[in-house]
Amino acid sequence: MFFFKKYQRLAIAFVFIVASLALLSYHLKRPGQVGFFKKVAMETASPVEKGIHSAFRGLGDVWGRYLFLVGLESENRDLKKKIADLQNEINSYREMYYEVGRLKKILSLEETMIYSTVAARVVSNERSSLFKTIIIEKGTDDGIVEGLPVVTSQGIVGRIIESSWNVSRVLLVTDYNSNIDALVQGSRAQGILQGGGPQLCRLKYVQRTDEVKPGDTLVTSGLGGIFPKGLVLGMIATAEKRETGLFQHVEVMPAVDFTKLEEVLVLIPERSKEKRR
Amino acid sequence: MIFYLLTLLLAFSVIILQRTFVDLLFAGKISLELSLMLVIFAGFNFEEVRGGIFAALTGFVFDCLSGAVMGLYTFFYVIVFFLTRLLTNRIYSEQMFFIMIFTFLCVLLEGLYIVVLYKSVFDVNMSYNLYRVFLPQALVAGVLSPALFAGLNYLEVLFHAGDRRSTESL
Repeated sequence: MFFFKKYQRLAIAFVFIVASLALLSYHLKRPGQVGFFKKVAMETASPVEKGIHSAFRGLGDVWGRYLFLVGLESENRDLKKKIADLQNEINSYREMYYEVGRLKKILSLEETMIYSTVAARVVSNERSSLFKTIIIEKGTDDGIVEGLPVVTSQGIVGRIIESSWNVSRVLLVTDYNSNIDALVQGSRAQGILQGGGPQLCRLKYVQRTDEVKPGDTLVTSGLGGIFPKGLVLGMIATAEKRETGLFQHVEVMPAVDFTKLEEVLVLIPERSKEKRR
Repeated sequence: MIFYLLTLLLAFSVIILQRTFVDLLFAGKISLELSLMLVIFAGFNFEEVRGGIFAALTGFVFDCLSGAVMGLYTFFYVIVFFLTRLLTNRIYSEQMFFIMIFTFLCVLLEGLYIVVLYKSVFDVNMSYNLYRVFLPQALVAGVLSPALFAGLNYLEVLFHAGDRRSTESL
C-alpha cells in the first residue's frame, strides 16, 4: 500500500502510456480498419463541418460574384473563343473514339469492367492537415466501400479509405500514403505516383532510359486493380536524370485542384462483361 | 461522469474548430493544433487521472477525425500530458516565456514523432515537413499559447466560481 502511494503518479502514467501504445500498435498492424467509434465520430462531425464550410463558402461566393463583375465582358469574349477551340478539339477526339471502337472490335478487345458513378458533395477538406484526406457525404448506405476510386472532371482525386454509414474518407493522391501505378501518356514510361505533400507528387521508379519531359500528361495504368486505365493523374512538372541512381527524379503536378473541391464522383464497378469470342 | 462528458464535448468542439474555422482563417497555409495546446494546459492544471483521461480522449477524437492511423495522437497527447505534469512538479511554469518555449518544443516534438513513426513503419519520408509544416506551426502555437492559456485560466476561474455559488446556494 505504501509502495503504491509512493509511486501512484508513476503507476497512473504507466497505465495510460501502455494503453495508448497498445491502441497505436494494434492499428499499425491493421491499418485502414474503421472501428465503431471512428464511424460515430465521422457521422457526428460531418454535419457540423458541412455547416461551417457552407457558411464560409456562401460568404466567399458573395465576395467572388462582386469581384467577377469587374472585367466580365472581356473574360466572356475570351471564354467564347476558348469554347470554339475546345469544340474543335472534342470533334477530333470523337473521331478518334469511334476509330478506337472500330479497331477494338476488329481486335476482339473489350472493356472488362463497367463503372457506375455516385456523385458526392465534399463535406470537409482540411487543407493545412499533414494527412491529405477529404470527407464526402456518401457512405456504405449508398454502396461506397473502401478502395473505390474517386474522380472529378479534371482527373483522379484519390480512393476511399474509410466509409461509415453516410460519410466516407477519401485519401487524396497528394497524401504520402497514396501510391498509384501510372503511365506517361506519350512515351508510355511507367512508374508509381506517390503523394508528396501539399502541391507536388513524385513519380517513382521511372527508368533512366525512358523519355519523360515537363508538360507530359500522366494517366493511370490500370494495374493494381483500383483505378481504371487512362484516367488523368496530372502533368509532369520536372524530370531530372541525376548523376547517380537507377531511376529519374520526376515531380508531378496533380490534375485536380484540391483546394477547390466541392463535388466528386465515386466509381463503382458494376459488372464484368463476358469476353466475346 | 459530467466531467468526462464535458471533456468529450470540449475535445470534439475544439477539434472541429481547428479543422474548419482555424483552417479557413489561416487559408490552409498553417495548421494550428488547438487540441495539443489544450492538452499542455491540462498538464499544467489537471491532476493525473482526470488529465490523463482528458489527453487520451482528445487524442482519440483527433485520431478519429484526422485520417491518421488510430492511436497516433492518443499516444502522443498522453505522453505530452505526463511530460508537462513532470515539469510542473519541478519548476515554476506560470511564466509566459516558459509557456511559449514549451508549446513550441511540444509541437516540434510532435512533428519529429510523426516523421520518425512514418519512416520506420511505412517507409514514407516526411522529413520535408519538419521545417515546412511543423516549424511554422510551432512558432504560431508558441506565440499564441500565452493568450490561449490566459483565456482558459479565466474560463476555469469562472467555472469554479459558478461551482462555488451553486454549492453555497445548496
